[in-house]
Amino acid sequence: MRFQDAARDARAVVYAGIQADPLVARTAALLARATAAERLLARAVMNGERTDADVWHRIFPTLFGEGEGEGTGEDLRHHAELVLAASLEVANRGEAARSQYRGAVVEELTAQLLASRATSSAPVRRERRVLFDGVRAEIHPYDVTVESALRPEVYDCKWGARGINADVLNQLDDARTHAADEEIDVKVAIVVFDSRRSCELRLDRSTANREKTRLVALEALDELRV
Amino acid sequence: MVPRPPGGRYATGVNERHRVTERAAASYRALAELAESVEDEWQYVNDLVDAYLPSIRALAGDDDESSFAPDRIAAVDEAIAEIGLISDPHKAIDWLSTFPHVVALALRGDVDSPAGSAPAGGVSVGTRTGAGGVASEAGAPEPDDDSPFRLLLRDDR
Repeated sequence: MRFQDAARDARAVVYAGIQADPLVARTAALLARATAAERLLARAVMNGERTDADVWHRIFPTLFGEGEGEGTGEDLRHHAELVLAASLEVANRGEAARSQYRGAVVEELTAQLLASRATSSAPVRRERRVLFDGVRAEIHPYDVTVESALRPEVYDCKWGARGINADVLNQLDDARTHAADEEIDVKVAIVVFDSRRSCELRLDRSTANREKTRLVALEALDELRV
Repeated sequence: MVPRPPGGRYATGVNERHRVTERAAASYRALAELAESVEDEWQYVNDLVDAYLPSIRALAGDDDESSFAPDRIAAVDEAIAEIGLISDPHKAIDWLSTFPHVVALALRGDVDSPAGSAPAGGVSVGTRTGAGGVASEAGAPEPDDDSPFRLLLRDDR
């Protein structure tokens, strides 16, 4: 088993430009330090129709409310404002670009969370293919990989539960089974910036083999740190 | 003889709780009707509705009046207004999985589990976990004793 950079077609080149936009890294960095409620705010705003910050202040009194017992505190509120501002910037990129930015943010967020435990012998990489002896390589690269010789990890990232489909699940499971053929224990997971319950509803209808594929949903993204 | 309710304020509070959650449920149903026009996702849309609609309605059962303070009811109405602007059925699907959690957070409730079952944890304000805090395997955040929001939800407050 070995990792390889994905070949870049025209679509990948365009997408690479979005991935390289500083807004993506900045938004992901804020979300890496965010609470689950702030991540829900980001999801709502980046899905949202309105881009007036005051609208979102009113929708999320738990984060921005002034009343006694709101429980936010100044530092939490300040961070929530930063998350809101970055999310509005993404939303303001327009309908056409927004979905690509959202996908890039989830990938970058996943990479940043994993990077907290990366080492020189287990680097975190992006857009990598996984090759196995005697097996035709998958066309689509994996979004994020942890390239440890002993315990490699492979991640696919989705903005919403709706992005979970048989192709994604099968590709992840194929990586795991091909690695097992080479006596390598590779961890495979799908990271979804959506609620666990919505993801499980999606998975419940899938017939793809996913028993050993881990789901990391919005509420539990910090699991990626360990 | 059935005792009278302790006062009009209680009855008004109960009614308002039901009114706001029913408004949210009706809006959610309308959003689902828009989303159903994506034929390939008809099953998923209905799975979401079957799961979340009872959970939204069950939020009315929270007897903590502070969960239904005016700013929280206004938050739900603002979220209802937001999804009322959606005309793209694909965006409607995105919101079908998001709106219930936004409403639940506003009302300090939980839609992570089937209505009537034990809460799975939900989205709490929490403290940042960047220093190493980790959510549980089941996906629910670890109890965070330092969070004032958590303290508000504790039975022993």
